[in-house]
Amino acid sequence: MSNHSPESDDALGARLRTELRRYAAPAYLRGSIAEAAEAPRVRPAWLAPALAAVATALVLLLLSIPFLPRILPADPTERLVRSVVAEHTRALMWGARRPEAVPTALPWLTRESGIGLTRFFVGDDRLAFIGAEPIYLEGRRGMALYYRDGDGHLVTYAVLPAPGLAIPESRRVPIQNRWRPALMNESGFSAWVWRQGDLACFIVSDMVSESDVESFKDYFARLRVSTEPVPAK
Amino acid sequence: MSDDFHRAALEHLDALYNFAMYLTRNPPEADDLVQETYLRAFRFSHRFQPGTHLRAWLFQILRNTFLTFYRLRERESALAEDGVPAWDAPMFHDAPEESSGAVEAHTDLERALRRLPEEFRTVLLLAEVEGMALEDVARVLACPVGTVKSRIFRAKERLRGLLRDYTKE
Repeated sequence: MSNHSPESDDALGARLRTELRRYAAPAYLRGSIAEAAEAPRVRPAWLAPALAAVATALVLLLLSIPFLPRILPADPTERLVRSVVAEHTRALMWGARRPEAVPTALPWLTRESGIGLTRFFVGDDRLAFIGAEPIYLEGRRGMALYYRDGDGHLVTYAVLPAPGLAIPESRRVPIQNRWRPALMNESGFSAWVWRQGDLACFIVSDMVSESDVESFKDYFARLRVSTEPVPAK
Repeated sequence: MSDDFHRAALEHLDALYNFAMYLTRNPPEADDLVQETYLRAFRFSHRFQPGTHLRAWLFQILRNTFLTFYRLRERESALAEDGVPAWDAPMFHDAPEESSGAVEAHTDLERALRRLPEEFRTVLLLAEVEGMALEDVARVLACPVGTVKSRIFRAKERLRGLLRDYTKE
């Protein structure tokens, strides 16, 4: 119990100054703070400019990415397959740009594509004809015919002028002992590739599983038997 | 300025530690608080304007650090496990032994002081115990001098009331 009675402001202030015990900082605390004060805190002079340079380079790299050349396959066949697959994907997503019912539009289609069809597959119980349109891929005018099968797969038949295009032997698949087109894969799609004279023909679909490949062979046969593209005169 | 600044700052270590002890009531936390205060002061030493009061600046950093980190913890642990408010527990278990009379008077004053709200406790510690000028106290508390005066007055009123209660006991 205190032996002091409540007092004036000055007296209370004096009590606070004299009676409250003072706590001195422990020696180890003084030591650790002094140590922290002595620790080097100066960043190397080159650090800030170096970081700024790296950051600038990174920004420039990010900005230039859209303008960097795409890495294209060196093999012309693979390049053409990639383009045809891209065209197939476009049609898959947005449909044909200007689908024309063949044969009513055949003269127009032939004129625009530079490719004539002496006969073509008009569809059957497995494949329904959707439309046809001229295409322009890899600097070549060509033609695409679109079909859809009973399972909803879009099947694109494309023809492009490509004299002397090499068909990779290792990819060739015999079909009905009559044809040996190459089966190629690109971006999750399958593509039959073969040549008819100076024209390169492609059939693209997303039929990639083993069971699908049998149907895909069948579609090839149906289209190949019934479609005869020729360079327009 | 760094070496001079460090030396000058370390001159106030005891005063800062004492203040930290009365704020935290806990030696390890007072250690942490003072250490953090110095780290911040060293880190932001470029912001210190030479010629102004280094002591007030350091106290300001310490109090702001306390308010930011320690007050929250203090609030969370306001009630001890047995439901007794933490501020009713002994302030410092390892406080140095003193003569019996002095300890008794001491304890009353300390108990009364620690029952004051932080802004009253701080203003008394700075103005009366540390003997800071009102302008410096105002800088630490970031308030006008008039507010400091009024807080000192009210803090003493309340302290007197608490001491009266202890006397009656």
